[in-house]
Amino acid sequence: MPKVPTDDPNIYEVFAQSGQSTGLNHVGSLVSPRPEFAWHLAKETYGRRDDLVNLWVTRRADLIVSEPADRGLLAAKTRMPHRQPGFPTARRRDRSSAPVASADPQADRAVADDPAGHRRPDDEATTARRDLGAARGPELSDLWLALADDLFVLGNRLGAHITDYIDLEEALAVGSIGQEAVAHAGTILLLCGFDQAAVDAWFFDRRHEQWQVSRALERVLDWPSLVAGGLLIAAAVTVLADETLGLEPGAAHLPPIAAIRQEQQVHLEHWRRLAQALTTWPETAAEFGLVHARVTEYGGDLFGAVPQGIASGALPTGPAPVAQLHERLAALIEQDGVPTSRLPASPQQRAVGRGGSALAESLNRGRSVRDGYAAGVFR
Amino acid sequence: MPTATTAGHRYYELWDPMPDDVREGARRFATVQALNELVGVLQYVEWLDRAPSHTRRQMLMAKIQDEVGHGHVVARVAEDLGMPREQILVDYLEGRLKIHNIFHYSFQTWEELGPGLLLTNSAAIQQFQSLAKGVYLPYSRALRKVEREESFHYQHALDLTHEILTHGDATQRRRVQQGFELWLPRILAYLGPPDTDTLHGNRMWQVGMKPDGNDAVRQAWLTKIIPVFRKLGVHVDPSLVSQAPSGEWQFAQPDWAATKKIIANGGPSSQRRLDYVRRVLDRNAGYRRALRGVA
Repeated sequence: MPKVPTDDPNIYEVFAQSGQSTGLNHVGSLVSPRPEFAWHLAKETYGRRDDLVNLWVTRRADLIVSEPADRGLLAAKTRMPHRQPGFPTARRRDRSSAPVASADPQADRAVADDPAGHRRPDDEATTARRDLGAARGPELSDLWLALADDLFVLGNRLGAHITDYIDLEEALAVGSIGQEAVAHAGTILLLCGFDQAAVDAWFFDRRHEQWQVSRALERVLDWPSLVAGGLLIAAAVTVLADETLGLEPGAAHLPPIAAIRQEQQVHLEHWRRLAQALTTWPETAAEFGLVHARVTEYGGDLFGAVPQGIASGALPTGPAPVAQLHERLAALIEQDGVPTSRLPASPQQRAVGRGGSALAESLNRGRSVRDGYAAGVFR
Repeated sequence: MPTATTAGHRYYELWDPMPDDVREGARRFATVQALNELVGVLQYVEWLDRAPSHTRRQMLMAKIQDEVGHGHVVARVAEDLGMPREQILVDYLEGRLKIHNIFHYSFQTWEELGPGLLLTNSAAIQQFQSLAKGVYLPYSRALRKVEREESFHYQHALDLTHEILTHGDATQRRRVQQGFELWLPRILAYLGPPDTDTLHGNRMWQVGMKPDGNDAVRQAWLTKIIPVFRKLGVHVDPSLVSQAPSGEWQFAQPDWAATKKIIANGGPSSQRRLDYVRRVLDRNAGYRRALRGVA
């Protein structure tokens, strides 16, 4: 986590610019017993050779700096490759070297159903497991799959709220949290053994009756409910990631789960700060209190996934300790300065295919372009 | 004293003393651009929940975030010059600031989106490259950041267009063609009226805030983008745009009177944009105060 590096008021960091085409560069630091000396000492210390056009000095105690552990969060290129100019180009190149998809719907379906190339979630083996599933409690992978639905819905909701213009910096934060949530939803499916085509089929070809979205996200349409809902989902993912990370040290699924956990931890902190702001501000306190109560009450189903008969892929198998996870969630969402949560004492089962008409409409809109095209066109 | 002097122009940083025309020009350019980024993006937001694959949705969301990010960096430039960010959207709602002609439309089909974005992004890149040569350095730096992200948007638009032209059926491909023909005249108009006679009398040109005339930018843009569409397989009708043996591009002059009406909030989606901005500002006023901790 970023930190203030020192409380020593006498240390200064020095930034210099030697030409107008280059930016300011950090050139070093110095100690100055009095602030009015600092700039002049910097000039003598770092400005003796070049013609400088700018020299800036700031107290080290006024900085907030990253730590080595933050490097993962700062690796934007690695974490979010879809933002790079080269990404669409590489994607097109990969595709043109792959077997050509034709505009004939039948031909495309044949490709899409090929279990070797494009594993679909509803193939024979998983249908057989589905019958068993009903009699057993959910496995860890069932909980992850249900949370993937939540993350996908929340991520898209956040995407639509980038232009809600609460404030510009906040809009950008919401955009990143949204993209990360949608990315995590995809990663979870890949860990469950889906390929990219199956990920798309899962998020875009399922009818809304097949989704298991938490009731906490039923009416996430305004700012307070986004904050309360975002907080709850980030906390649930954090709890489940911790559980998964503790199970099989050294396993292949760990790096992606650890990355998800690290990013969701940042989301959780973000929503916590906002929850606190909405609670302490007199004008918004009462409304946020009501919304927070409703969302947390509905959030009792976060670990109440209904097994869907999907193999666990790379994720560990075995019954999930649902009650414990629920307890850990309850503890994690409590914080000073925010109303006590109304999370039910025990986990509730998720309702399949319910989730409010706004959600159904949004999921249906997600298919509207796709349905007009032959299968396999969009990737 | 300016921060630097090159080829007859003086370049300024925020705290340098500078001519009023430079300060006011920079504030106006940054303000107008911030508004257009923040309202222009709404065209794409309308399509976010219809983007038809996981990756496409990620890319579109990244683009939307970037556009708001561009609005943010130029709004910061404007704020430092005395234009508070809240005022930008308020001035738009109250009619003191206008958005460009192209943002008064909505995309009617998914197929129109690719060619429309490709034309818009490439024209914006051309324009920003020109403006980045201007004399107010914080604005130039903001534009360079914007340009870098626009190159991702350009590649994304190319990919969108290519996907449908390669894998779509005949009707879908035809809609791409129609999208190109619909948006080309709009972008020609977006780049502004011919200025061959007036450029040197333009105060912003004189003080170095507007390094190139509209015609130069438009010609350079056509030289780059028309071959891209041809290569994609889009037919470029000579009645729309054609190149003379001299290399100069000829095109039907946009209807400037109609363009002016559209800019004065007379376009098909003008009211929708105004309504949206008014709604989010009203709805979120209390939350914004809570976030900032000031009444």
